[in-house]
Amino acid sequence: MGKLTKSHLIESAVWLSIAAIFFGFSFEFNQPIEIYIFGATGWPRVVIGLMLLVTIGNFFHQYRYGSAIQTGRVGIADEDETGNYDNLSAVIKVLAVLGTPFLFALSLKPVGFYFATPFFIALIIVIFGERRWKWILGITALLYALLLGLFMVILNAPLPQGNVSPFYDYSAFILRLNNDLQQLW
Amino acid sequence: MIENFLAGSSALFGDPFTLAIFFFGVIGGMLFGAIPGVSMLTLAAILLPFTSDLSPAQGVMLFAVIYCTGTYGGAITAILFNIPGAPENAPTAFDGYPMTQQGKSGKAVGAAVLCSAIGGVASALVMMAATQPLATWAIRNIGPPEIFALVFFGLAVASSVGGRTIWKGWLSVLLGLLIATIGQDPVGGINRYNFGFADLAAGIAFVPAILGFFAVSEIFVQAEKRATGTFHAPKVGMSFPTLFELWAQKIAVVRSILVGFFCGILPGIGATLAAFMGYGEAVRWSKDKESFGKGNIEGVISSETANNAATGAAMIPLLALGLPGGALTAMMVAVFQMHDLEPGPLVFYNSPDLIWVVFAAMFYANLSILFVGILETKTILYLLKIPFQFLAPLILLLASIGAYIGRGLVLDVVVMFIAGIVGFLLRRSGYSIPGIVLGIILGKIGEQNFAQGMQMVHYDLIAYLSRPICSLLILAGVLTLSVGVYQAFRAPEKKA
Repeated sequence: MGKLTKSHLIESAVWLSIAAIFFGFSFEFNQPIEIYIFGATGWPRVVIGLMLLVTIGNFFHQYRYGSAIQTGRVGIADEDETGNYDNLSAVIKVLAVLGTPFLFALSLKPVGFYFATPFFIALIIVIFGERRWKWILGITALLYALLLGLFMVILNAPLPQGNVSPFYDYSAFILRLNNDLQQLW
Repeated sequence: MIENFLAGSSALFGDPFTLAIFFFGVIGGMLFGAIPGVSMLTLAAILLPFTSDLSPAQGVMLFAVIYCTGTYGGAITAILFNIPGAPENAPTAFDGYPMTQQGKSGKAVGAAVLCSAIGGVASALVMMAATQPLATWAIRNIGPPEIFALVFFGLAVASSVGGRTIWKGWLSVLLGLLIATIGQDPVGGINRYNFGFADLAAGIAFVPAILGFFAVSEIFVQAEKRATGTFHAPKVGMSFPTLFELWAQKIAVVRSILVGFFCGILPGIGATLAAFMGYGEAVRWSKDKESFGKGNIEGVISSETANNAATGAAMIPLLALGLPGGALTAMMVAVFQMHDLEPGPLVFYNSPDLIWVVFAAMFYANLSILFVGILETKTILYLLKIPFQFLAPLILLLASIGAYIGRGLVLDVVVMFIAGIVGFLLRRSGYSIPGIVLGIILGKIGEQNFAQGMQMVHYDLIAYLSRPICSLLILAGVLTLSVGVYQAFRAPEKKA
């Protein structure tokens, strides 16, 4: 197995899967273009082919040298170190950080920005280790007010309002307040 | 030229409303560039509808000023948080962020302020003197084959920076190129890789991708460090670089101005490639190559000089040929169109007032980076003292708003967070995030120009390569790749 580890094998498998999926889907738009002989698939398939070659090169490099940094590489920060995942709480924390923003993004369509945001702020602060509830509430209120002030009141930026009641009604209420505020000046 | 410049200056300073717009652009561009998560593009996108109420000169001038100061503003977040405000600031983070971790953030930001101003002012002066002759030269000598060749060279350079091995550098660029193929193909308009999502027919917007790969993945990296006990708090330093330190980098500054101007003048390329090439050239000519990526001030200087030097040059193809060099110059085309004007050679004859107000404003905007930039930077440096658990939700929310505002699609926010997770995993495995982003940005430009070039020469590769500029750039790209291949078969130096 040379210096290969399980993560190297997973890495190569992921790259090969990406190449295979994109190659497979390229047949969906494999139609000729009258003015261009290489068609719509020419460029993506060349990229996929190169990706396949480089994945093989990467695999053999890892087989010989493991994860060692190659001579003469630039722009690699020394702090690129992998953390210690020995305890379960570290794994849960990292998974929570990765998952929470994603759930927030998925909630934007039904719940809307105005309702989901304060919960998201508080959750992220807690996940990042803050336990003083007064600080959590205070900073959540401050950031929420700051964002509404900048993007809703000053810039009038259109933000997702949600499409499910009562979240949509809450967004409408906030926007009505903003409208009343704008009427004042 | 001096007469025209003075006329442009008096039009700028003589009208209080125009002057107010100028200062709004200076401060707004810098601020939006410096706020982690949003960028000058966010501000420009928000302001675009309102420019219809301004005169054409005021509208174009506002965007030109935002372009100059926003390009600098993005360096602040790149240096302080490892989050480039725009892709053109990505190479700044390579050495700027390690400097912050070493307590030299003041030095890095000071160098960025000074070099952005120098690069921008030099570029503005050359732009004023050379726009018309250079436009004539570019019309005759630069076509799709040359642009494709430049993209090829730029991607070859990008693959040699950032990844833990050359293989990972190449895979990063190729992943970016593959992501860029999502959406309509640039020749026939055929839908590619929409995977059943109608919104993907328009492709992956690069603002959410950039925000995801840089801003969101950085938050995830910081979270992982805290969770696994490998976090080291950055030290806040306020010492600015000495004149002696900056004088020692004079050659890097001049070289980066030339690189930046050359890249900026080519349509469709803009400041991003300029910054990467400026950084790449600094590494190539350095006697201490290994120090790059670990806090070498020359890395910050080269990248920031080159990207600001490209801002003036990027106006040349826009004004002379009507071809935008990047996202912000593309928005300027929209400003022109909102006023029933078409950017192109005729603008020089039909609207000389507009041209010289814009030129004068860009000159003063770059100059103002020096003064406003230092004041603003001192304030922003205090951001580092805010506990990260309070800064993280703000950055994530600003990024979400930035991703959403561009097209008004929740899908873009989802794409941004997916890019964040992918970026986090790739960074842990030693892949190059700037390489992916450059692949996404240049992929479509490369494909489009390759196709047009091949059609131009009737698919004759010899004719394609017989164009001198094209063959020179392709040769340079092949040489860069060859060096990479040679390095790939050398024994590695140290363990990760």
